[in-house]
Amino acid sequence: MSDEEHHFDSKADAGASKTFPQQAGTIRKNGYIVTKNRPCKVVEVSTSKTGKHGHAKCHFVGIDIFNGKKLEDIVPSSHNCDVPHVNRTDYQLIDISEDGFVSLLTENGNTKDDLRLPTDENLLSQIKDGFAEGKDLVVTVMSAMGEEQICALKDIGPKN
Amino acid sequence: MQGFSDGGAGADLALLQSTMHTIEVACSSIQMHINPTAAEATILSLSQSPQPYKACQYILENSQVANARFQAAAAIQDAAIREWGFLSIEDRRSLISFCLCFVMQHASLLEGYVQAKVSSVAAQLMKRGWLDFTAAEKEAFFYQVNQAILGAHGVDVQFIGVHFLESLVSEFSPSTSSAMGLPREFHEQCRTSLELNYLKTFYCWARDAALSVTNKIIESDAAIPEVKVCTAALCLMLLILNWEFRHDANSMKAGINVFSAGVRHDNASSKRSECVLVQPGPAWCDALISNGHVGWLLGLYAALRQKFSREGYWLDCPIAVSARKLIVQFCSLTGTIFPSDNGKMQENHLLQLLSGILQWIDPPGAVSKAIEEGKSESEMLDGCRALLSIATVTTPFVFDQLLKSIRPFGTLTLLSTLMCEVVKVLMTNNTDEETWSWEARDILLDTWTILLVPMDGNGGDALLPPEGKHAAANLFSMIVESELKVASASVANDDVDSDYLQASISAMDERLSSYALIARAAVDVTIPLLTGLFSECVAQLHQGRGIMDPTETLEELYSLLLITGHVLADEGDGETPLVPTAIQTHFADIVEAENHPVVILSGSIIRFAEQSMDQEMRVTVFSPRLMEAVIWFLARWSHTYLMPLEEANCHLSHDYEHQRQSIHSRKALLSFFGEHNQGQIVLNIIVHISMMTLMSYPGEKDLQGLTCHHLLHTLVRRKNICHRLVSMDSWRDLANAFTNEKSFFLLSSANQRSLAQTLVLSASGLRNSEASNRYVRGLMVHMTTYLVELSNKNDLKSVSQQPDIIMSVSCLLERLRGAASAAEPRTQRSIYEMGISVMNPVLILLEVYKHESAVVYLLLKFIVDWVDGQISYLEAQETASVIDFCMRLLQLYSSQNIGKISVSLSSTLLSEAKTEKYKDLRALLQLLSSLCSKDLVDFSSDSIEVAGTNISQVVYFGLHIVTPLISLELLKYPKLCHDYFSLLSHILEVYPETLAQLNSEAFAHILGTLDFGLHHQDAEVVNMCLGALRALASYHYREMCAGKTGLGSHAAGQGNLPEGIFSRFLRSLLQLLLFEDYSPDLVGAAADALLPLILCEQGLYQRLGNELIERQANSTLKSRLANALHSLTSSNHLSSTLDRVNYQRFRKNLNSFLIEVRGFLRTM
Repeated sequence: MSDEEHHFDSKADAGASKTFPQQAGTIRKNGYIVTKNRPCKVVEVSTSKTGKHGHAKCHFVGIDIFNGKKLEDIVPSSHNCDVPHVNRTDYQLIDISEDGFVSLLTENGNTKDDLRLPTDENLLSQIKDGFAEGKDLVVTVMSAMGEEQICALKDIGPKN
Repeated sequence: MQGFSDGGAGADLALLQSTMHTIEVACSSIQMHINPTAAEATILSLSQSPQPYKACQYILENSQVANARFQAAAAIQDAAIREWGFLSIEDRRSLISFCLCFVMQHASLLEGYVQAKVSSVAAQLMKRGWLDFTAAEKEAFFYQVNQAILGAHGVDVQFIGVHFLESLVSEFSPSTSSAMGLPREFHEQCRTSLELNYLKTFYCWARDAALSVTNKIIESDAAIPEVKVCTAALCLMLLILNWEFRHDANSMKAGINVFSAGVRHDNASSKRSECVLVQPGPAWCDALISNGHVGWLLGLYAALRQKFSREGYWLDCPIAVSARKLIVQFCSLTGTIFPSDNGKMQENHLLQLLSGILQWIDPPGAVSKAIEEGKSESEMLDGCRALLSIATVTTPFVFDQLLKSIRPFGTLTLLSTLMCEVVKVLMTNNTDEETWSWEARDILLDTWTILLVPMDGNGGDALLPPEGKHAAANLFSMIVESELKVASASVANDDVDSDYLQASISAMDERLSSYALIARAAVDVTIPLLTGLFSECVAQLHQGRGIMDPTETLEELYSLLLITGHVLADEGDGETPLVPTAIQTHFADIVEAENHPVVILSGSIIRFAEQSMDQEMRVTVFSPRLMEAVIWFLARWSHTYLMPLEEANCHLSHDYEHQRQSIHSRKALLSFFGEHNQGQIVLNIIVHISMMTLMSYPGEKDLQGLTCHHLLHTLVRRKNICHRLVSMDSWRDLANAFTNEKSFFLLSSANQRSLAQTLVLSASGLRNSEASNRYVRGLMVHMTTYLVELSNKNDLKSVSQQPDIIMSVSCLLERLRGAASAAEPRTQRSIYEMGISVMNPVLILLEVYKHESAVVYLLLKFIVDWVDGQISYLEAQETASVIDFCMRLLQLYSSQNIGKISVSLSSTLLSEAKTEKYKDLRALLQLLSSLCSKDLVDFSSDSIEVAGTNISQVVYFGLHIVTPLISLELLKYPKLCHDYFSLLSHILEVYPETLAQLNSEAFAHILGTLDFGLHHQDAEVVNMCLGALRALASYHYREMCAGKTGLGSHAAGQGNLPEGIFSRFLRSLLQLLLFEDYSPDLVGAAADALLPLILCEQGLYQRLGNELIERQANSTLKSRLANALHSLTSSNHLSSTLDRVNYQRFRKNLNSFLIEVRGFLRTM
């Protein structure tokens, strides 16, 4: 991955830490958590006790935000977990190149050309079709723990 | 397939045979599962073809395939119910008598299910024609049935006769009747007619049938065919006694309002009970009581009991089961059937039953031993149920006396011994499976509850005789022993899942409150007992500290705290509970408050709780679970005992001396924890403990939740406590810690919210509104400042994405939301200012967190709650600025979300994203609804129009922004759907004129959703859509009449929609009414919508009507349809105005129209 290069020019928080510690008990559904060294979105939290008169522990079910895999973890409520720093940036989509890269327009007028199109057929077609129809598309790029991916697109056609 | 109609002409035998063959083949192919869909279609086409009766009768009489006969019977039923309206009187009668004769003739040959089907068809048709047949016609049918039941044609026919009556009675009983597409009044009339004229006769027939075979059954040694008749007769009698008798001579007025079904206002049912009371009224006395009927029944069962060892009879054989059920049902007999002789006759009746039942349950020890050794438990359980029924219809005193005449002890003692036995069994084999002892315990516990629950509205507890008190005390100590044993044993099985643990406090609630009733029946024994057990447990803990595992003792303490909490105090249910009467009135001899048993018990628990402040004790003893029980107890206890309002009303008693003493002791108890005594000290302890659980049990959400939602919330609910709280240092510490302490930011979101709410609510304890507002400002200012400063940061965009910042923003928003929801008139000012000060930050944050759905939702919810709490107080100028802000918020949200597509590999994440969107939209709809309410509830001094704000404009503008986000996909979420349509129907009803101003795209979208809602499966949604439609059409019609344009171009149709909206809806509503399935309850609302639609589009309506008539091939049906359509718009003096009377007339017309034509229209 060639993301060092991109950290360089477009991120004000370059060098900011990739994760933060946070008490397990405060991480809620729809928040983020690092499980098995992967950034995940929490889709389920349940608490239980270690033995009847023990302390609470949290059971997290997370979905890897990049590859969609399901990961689970159990942590005592009062312990700390790592929470990933998830950043999302909007870019205007300028072009889709033959070799599977997209060309994006950054806020300060430069282009960002290092991002690959997703390999998944379904995602790919959603982006390609929209682009082919000539819509003005803004893509949202999600980045966390040194990885990045397109996570949403939005039609900002002349209507708005 | 062309259907199986025999067309009325002489049926061709060959055709009949081929039809039979086709159906037989279809039936067997379904059974063998060969192409079942086609086979089902074949069978369906039989029942849907016009007049298939001949074919069906032919099949019934000639087919050898039982399933085919069954289907033929079903087809007769479907077709006849559908075509009933245009069958001739003769046809109707002959169908019924065919079915009746058929079952009787084939009584011994038919399969049971075909028999049952045919007689239920006969019963259903009989009901369908019930109001049309003359008395003589009915007599003719019933003569036939009676002959059968008398046994004139043998045992089999006798059984069929009884069975037919069973079908008939259950068909007439509203809860078991089948739908016939007729209005509810029809069913009510049938039911009344049957109850008044036939029910008792049927009962006597059944009784006579049973009597006629009793001797044979008793005399014979083996099972004989007569048993079947007797069982059926017993079942029928039971069914009749289960009838919900309405026409008791005293409650004739109940018959007036047919829709109040099920709500009976007599005294007996105000006694809480799950037991059905049997109240047939005085006319039944001779049939049920005075002729030795009960004696016969008990004798029959006693004779059966003798036979249980023989072949063909056993404890659970059908006849024994029905006999027992009937006996139990007799125990519930009450009301005016007994003459007013001070209950003498009822007592005799119950005594007779009880002495029969006694053998099932007495002696308890032997009975339970026999069951544990393998005997069936059903007889014992029925005995318990009988006790429950008897308890339901008697006072505790009468209940206890019943047994005294035949035993040396009272019924209460028996009940107590019986339950002790059951509890013992429960204690020895403690499993998670539901065993007989579980069931018996629950029934017996219900019995106690019914006996002990206060009967009059004043909360006076039922007083037991001394022997009964003794019995209750015995039982309670047995129960506590068993609960503690179960508790300590449960430590061993570690596999208890977390859901169970969490639910345990509330799930056990009901059982515990029954225990509490038993304990309160004998407080002078049970409270000292609890005190003793508690100090024993605590002593054990201290002795064993550091030496042995305390878990078992902890669990015992846990149970003990729950039980004690229930005994000492009641759940408030939103009210302030008083000290239970039993506790108030007993202990009359205690003068010194310190010696009052309740004070001793409460004191020892509070002192124990206080030990949790000690760090070392906390680690070794106070586990999170034990602490949960402590907090729960403190909340419940303090709600009742802490600084109680002294104005407890005195019950006047005749015994003056006793009364004075009891007032004295009560005062001692009440004032001990009062404001001027120990109250403040205890309150201080409680606040300290609360703060400690919030800070020293990190991550224990359940415990902290109990503290916030239960304990602290309970405290601030009472004004006198608030008054003390705000002057206490400990409370100030709590408020300080809340704003500054880091550990408070770690509380879960719901707890943050609740704590903020609690602290704001406590401001009501301050002297005046000014001080209260100052207090709230002081509390919230840190939080609003933080948000303002954050939103002004230059590097906000990057900083905001850091997890720690997201966490504090979420946290603060939760707190603001909590504070917003605590707005009261007194603190309204400061809460308003709080919201105003963060308006800009909210918009900025909404922009930077547009991808962080969790934060977006919090922002929206905060605004929703804030607007909801404020809107009705705001002055015109303020309203204008709040509305302006809301519109900016809506626009921003909408611009961020329209056209947005989330892409992700994970389907879970995609569906999460959809759910988030749904929740957001729901919040936005709530926001619009709150804004809407300004027009209805407004406390401000000047009208909002002064500032040029028109709420309807606002809401329309809002809908414009929000509706494009609402897709039909999202409307599948039931709550969103419900919110959306209730808002829509409200708006259309109140501001129809503004709809005309919408642009065509938004207009089309709204109407699209309306059309969607009209075909929704939820009747309430359809109802709201019909309401919206009515509002729209009647607005348009009125405007047109007044010579205005109404909805103008929308109504006329334009561009790509050649048809106007009213034409479209008229079409689709007629389509729905005539050809689709819907709940009959909707007909009224549909009529209200249809009338203005017809008036708006009269030309189209004529055309549609003519089309319908033209499509009809059959000439009789054609003329019927034409007549029906004509009378729909002309009968009942229907005019073309839209007033209440006219709507009512049209409702009537539509109802009869649908009954008239839907039958044949739907089958074509």
